[in-house]
Amino acid sequence: MTSLTTSPALSVRGLTKRFGDRVVLEGFDLDVNAGEVVSILGANGSGKSTSLRCISGLTKFDGGSVSVAGRNVRSGEHVPEFAMVFQKIYLVPQLTVLENVCAGALGRLSFRQAWAPNAFPADVREEAMGCLDRVGLAQRAHDRAGRLSGGQQQRVAVARALCQRAGVLLADEPVSALDPAAAEQVMRLLRSLADDDGIAVAGVLHQPDLARRHADRIVGLTGGRITLDTAPSALTDADVDALYAPDYAIEGGLA
Amino acid sequence: MSTTLNTAPARRLPVPPRPRGVRSLVTMAGVLAVVVGLHVVAVRETQFSLPELVKGWHGIWSFLFGDVRTAGALPPDLHWKIVGPALGQVVVTFSMGLLGTTLSIPFALLLALLGSRMTSKNIVVYQLARGLMSFFRAIPSFIWGLIYVTAVGLGAFPGVLAIITHNMGVMGKLWSEAMEETDQGPVEALRSAGASAAQTATHVVLPSVIRQFTSLFLYRVDVNVRDSLTLGIVGAGGIGFYITQAIQEFQFNVMMTYVLMVLVMVIALDLLSAWLRGRVGQ
Repeated sequence: MTSLTTSPALSVRGLTKRFGDRVVLEGFDLDVNAGEVVSILGANGSGKSTSLRCISGLTKFDGGSVSVAGRNVRSGEHVPEFAMVFQKIYLVPQLTVLENVCAGALGRLSFRQAWAPNAFPADVREEAMGCLDRVGLAQRAHDRAGRLSGGQQQRVAVARALCQRAGVLLADEPVSALDPAAAEQVMRLLRSLADDDGIAVAGVLHQPDLARRHADRIVGLTGGRITLDTAPSALTDADVDALYAPDYAIEGGLA
Repeated sequence: MSTTLNTAPARRLPVPPRPRGVRSLVTMAGVLAVVVGLHVVAVRETQFSLPELVKGWHGIWSFLFGDVRTAGALPPDLHWKIVGPALGQVVVTFSMGLLGTTLSIPFALLLALLGSRMTSKNIVVYQLARGLMSFFRAIPSFIWGLIYVTAVGLGAFPGVLAIITHNMGVMGKLWSEAMEETDQGPVEALRSAGASAAQTATHVVLPSVIRQFTSLFLYRVDVNVRDSLTLGIVGAGGIGFYITQAIQEFQFNVMMTYVLMVLVMVIALDLLSAWLRGRVGQ
């Protein structure tokens, strides 16, 4: 099916980002194909989150290029194809689950079409129900989002991304705040989105074992550039130790 | 065989001295000197004097228990011909506070949205909104009352206008501060989904603060009903106007009746407002 002429879902070339004098990303390259789960590993401050924020347009980048399905994306531009999932989930806890999922569609709706959380058009609400069903939470549609467990909330956030009709899911430490069972469930969901719906998933993970089990490919970031790109089965403990060496140096104490 | 647990205390080490420079002590002494100095000036400027209070005891006595020319505040005159008409005036005072607060909602909301960094990106608009809120807030409602009484005449109507004007500044500020404390995360999440600033305002910021808004509104109703008492004194109707009249006619026992009625209303309102705020906060 995929030929050499088709572009990857997400393609990043030579991405550069500086905060003042500090260089966070330098020559960052990343390709993620449709239906592929790529896990990004790296120490604190290696630029993992910044790379995803630059791709999604939340942070402007200083150089390089980002493209989605072969189309170039400007620095700071929000394109509907990219959806972001966050460690802290960022639902509106006071709103219902359904209202939170509908909000994923805001980018394609005018202010008048959806001026308030309870004023989404019927077709959007029905599509949102479909997205909720996809993550297995259709029966919680009218519950307040804040009442759900952390793992359920993260699945609602994924449903919001689906309601955005995103082809590329950028997940910034999606399971770091979750207990192991919930983390496993969210990772399986991301895996099945790639396998069954052909979504490209790029996720920052801090647990190498989760990455090994759920990713198709693992990339490692050191000092703002990709220094490792390997199949999960080929990832060695020495690789992981090398990636996280800066953290051990900072934490100090018992070593 | 019995298990021996290691319960020996850990080795003792000297506690290193907490780093606290001489500078912080000097700063503390300086702050203390300034605070004391300000209070000395305040006592002098206000001619605050306990001996004067003691010397004036017979004035207080005749206010409380009366003398040849006046009826004292105690006992209050609970005759129905006093209480009956005053009840209507208590309702007027309450209505001024309630209506003034309710009618200020749209103005307060507009000022809050324009004067909060969460929802207002244009720095000129933001500063203008904050300036307006400061202006309406800085002038107390009874000054607004004097202005409106001059403009539209005596009565409760200028009182309502005065409360609207002052309250849109206060409530606008309280609401904008509530909005500034909302979590930026969900705003960012929807922004990355392509939502506009207006959409994030109605889909994240307002739903996040609606409870605080309601709670602050109830608190302001409480405060504004008490404010409408002083508005009565400047001619804007209600029980406050009756209290002023009774004092001017040296009918302190009648005044005391009105004060007690106000007291009952204020306590009832305070309890109701606190109860409602407790329910909203859940």
